[in-house]
Amino acid sequence: MLDEWSSNILQHDPMRLYRAKRDLEHRTVISKYNILGFISSGTYGRVYKAQSLDDEHGTLHAIKKFKPDKEGDVVTYTGISQSAIREIALNRELSHDNVVALKEVILEDKSIYMVFDYAEHDFLQVIHHHSQTLRSPISTAVLKSLIYQLINGLIYLHSCHVLHRDLKPANILITGNGVVKIGDLGLARLIYEPLQPLFAGDKVVVTIWYRAPELLLGAKHYTKAIDCWAVGCVMAELASLRPIFKGEEAKLDSKKNVPFQRDQLLKIFEVLGTPDEKEWPSLVDMPEYHSMKRLDYFTNRLSDWCQSRLRSPQGYDLLRRLFIYDPERRLNAKDALQHKWFHEDPKPTWNAFASVSTHQIPPHRRISQDEAPSMVPIPQHASLQGAHGHMGIPFGQQSKPGSSTSLSGGGHYVQSSGTRKKARLQ
Amino acid sequence: MATDFWASSHYKRWIVDRATLHQARLADLQYVDNPEQLDFLSIYFANLITKLGRKLQFRQRVIATATVFFRRFYLKNSYSETDPFIVIAACCYVAAKAEESPIHIKSIVQESRTVFNQEELNGRPWTTDNQKIAEMEFYLVDDLECDLIIFHPYRTLLALCKRENTPLSTSEEGEDLGIGLDTDDGPRYWGTGEGQLELPTGALQVAWSIINDTYKSQLCLLHPPHLIAIAAIYLSFIIHPPVRPDPSTIIEHESATTTPESHRQPRRSTRQANSHSSSKKFQSHNQQDPIAFLADMNMSLPLLASVSQEIISLYALWDQYKEDMAPDAARLARELSGTSPVASGSISPAKRSMSRADSLTQSYGSQYFGSLTASAGATPVTDTNETLDTASSVQEGVPGVHYVTPAFLSLLVQRMREAKLSDVTPSAQGSSSGSGSINVISGRKMAVNKRLERMQAAG
Repeated sequence: MLDEWSSNILQHDPMRLYRAKRDLEHRTVISKYNILGFISSGTYGRVYKAQSLDDEHGTLHAIKKFKPDKEGDVVTYTGISQSAIREIALNRELSHDNVVALKEVILEDKSIYMVFDYAEHDFLQVIHHHSQTLRSPISTAVLKSLIYQLINGLIYLHSCHVLHRDLKPANILITGNGVVKIGDLGLARLIYEPLQPLFAGDKVVVTIWYRAPELLLGAKHYTKAIDCWAVGCVMAELASLRPIFKGEEAKLDSKKNVPFQRDQLLKIFEVLGTPDEKEWPSLVDMPEYHSMKRLDYFTNRLSDWCQSRLRSPQGYDLLRRLFIYDPERRLNAKDALQHKWFHEDPKPTWNAFASVSTHQIPPHRRISQDEAPSMVPIPQHASLQGAHGHMGIPFGQQSKPGSSTSLSGGGHYVQSSGTRKKARLQ
Repeated sequence: MATDFWASSHYKRWIVDRATLHQARLADLQYVDNPEQLDFLSIYFANLITKLGRKLQFRQRVIATATVFFRRFYLKNSYSETDPFIVIAACCYVAAKAEESPIHIKSIVQESRTVFNQEELNGRPWTTDNQKIAEMEFYLVDDLECDLIIFHPYRTLLALCKRENTPLSTSEEGEDLGIGLDTDDGPRYWGTGEGQLELPTGALQVAWSIINDTYKSQLCLLHPPHLIAIAAIYLSFIIHPPVRPDPSTIIEHESATTTPESHRQPRRSTRQANSHSSSKKFQSHNQQDPIAFLADMNMSLPLLASVSQEIISLYALWDQYKEDMAPDAARLARELSGTSPVASGSISPAKRSMSRADSLTQSYGSQYFGSLTASAGATPVTDTNETLDTASSVQEGVPGVHYVTPAFLSLLVQRMREAKLSDVTPSAQGSSSGSGSINVISGRKMAVNKRLERMQAAG
């Protein structure tokens, strides 16, 4: 017979040898990266700024640490969330200039660390910089370059059959060299030959202000067109420095039924007019069609809206096409990139800030030092702060959609945490 | 990425050569009597994954993904140093998420307990809990290097071929296609589907099942999925000869009266295909000449032949593998008893494994496989029989033919792990007492331990 030690291992902890071997080979996050500071937090966890210790240039990175699950104070293994699996799996495959690059994933001590290339700015920060500091609109050259690169990245994602499903200013990053990087694929998913219908996994997708009308009307089936709608919202927000459709989100009820998003639809109708069945034939099939019919009637005044904000008939035309109600007729990413607006002066540039004088470039991302040492382990209050966090919509199955306020959080900005909403109200 | 295999992690990091495969099994090789036992383990584990996957109501693609995860994991690890059962459970758990059809961890815990405790475990119950599975998942994802998107031959098959007289994108096994795709997605591989080869339903099913079967081997690590798919199509042509109708085939159709009701349909459509081609409509119609179709693939024929050969030798090996309570056992034994020893070595493998394979119940194709096997001389069955441990394998009513059973393999895994443990046991006493039990299955094990002891004694 085997001795007690051996049979004990076989019986109670058969993977002990394996783990011992693996743990021995493991290189810790701390041994590879110098953590410089804390960037932001969300429902998913926290993001830190870090410097590589391995390369001599000390390349900068953003390390996203997924919030570990806890039972009381004890961190336990409870299974990797669907959102983390998606973000990891997709990022491992994707490679494009306008999509944020994943350098590596470190699984350590029950936590997942995703190491990304560092991006100095994001769209939300640029908006904030212009509305708060410069108090002037974003120049057409910058606006056009940002949108051009955003669409370029989106074409890549769509050509890979990936829906982003959470495009918004906070999730679109910009490097110090003015290159746009689409980030946060935590809600993204492959739509190539799915085994499950899209709505089965996630009841709610896209932050409310950027959510396409077909989603607001309860469509179970949706397409890449939802990302294109969000691009339109982002473009309008860059042009006006405030969200174009800033509705209040109706919360999920206790049974987690998705409610009718009355206010958000009204905000859209006020600008684009009430959709009619002629321009959007499948409108009548939408689950919320009858609720929608009870709303006040509006006419389209997007042209007026654009007059003072985009100052270009072509710019208006692009926006108009991105905001076509019928998802089947809405401009797709490929056609959007070919739009005439990008061919007229000023032309888009690969450094989006090429035309901007040095002192007008948005400042470097601020990091907070006092929280820096806390990457391991994560402090208690993190989850509370995350409630108004910038990226995450929680996932239907892994977390609790109803419990989070982040569904309505269009964006969150660490430097001024909390001031964004106030700023918008001025 | 979803469409571009050449840019995928699958292609860039996870297609390996035979030398790498061999290297990965070196540690395990010292604990088995015969290297072929490791190939049987390959079948055994794949079957367990399928069993667990079925319990969890997984789609075929999820099972396939779980199997690929399992194979990749054991490129870096050895059976003897791990608990393959918990690895299987974790692979299924991650595969469900990777394929966007997640299940609760409790289901995995519960169903894996049920499935694995049906295995021969030497009296020890197999236990697990949420914590253990989740912990294993963590290590597994790390060992998989976070590459979780897998390409499968099914996609190529359905892109290249369609069922006879059906519109585009009808899929096998009810796999939903097209959900979430909009019109601009249009071309998959062949655009409008114009270039698709129409296959009789039976042939498509055979090809699909052959692909299922390839997961029992290491093929998914050796070859890109489209190659496996084309080999499967090629092999399905052999069973469903589409161009040159062989009178003997038709006769066999007529005589195959024992075919179950559910398989009448494919059989009938095969006959239709045959009459179709014999009336020369087949070739004129949309240039649907399968030979030309394959030739148009413009792929290396030697490569295709070698992949096909590997599939055939899998069947030859599989022929010696036997689920304990296989319902067709008696019939198979009867079939076998009528044949000469040489014939049973060359013909029966494909035949019997085909009939065992999920929906491959038509046995009339066996003669084609048989001839292929014979011409290739792959895995001579008689050689391997002699080396199998007669005490552990089940002897059927046929003289000279031994089967490897799951019970035997389950014990083998246990012994391997015990042997490995005693090799690393800190106390010398543990080492020697351990080797006593190992001796039962592996006489050679003793020698290894002695060498080890000598080495320890030397310093």
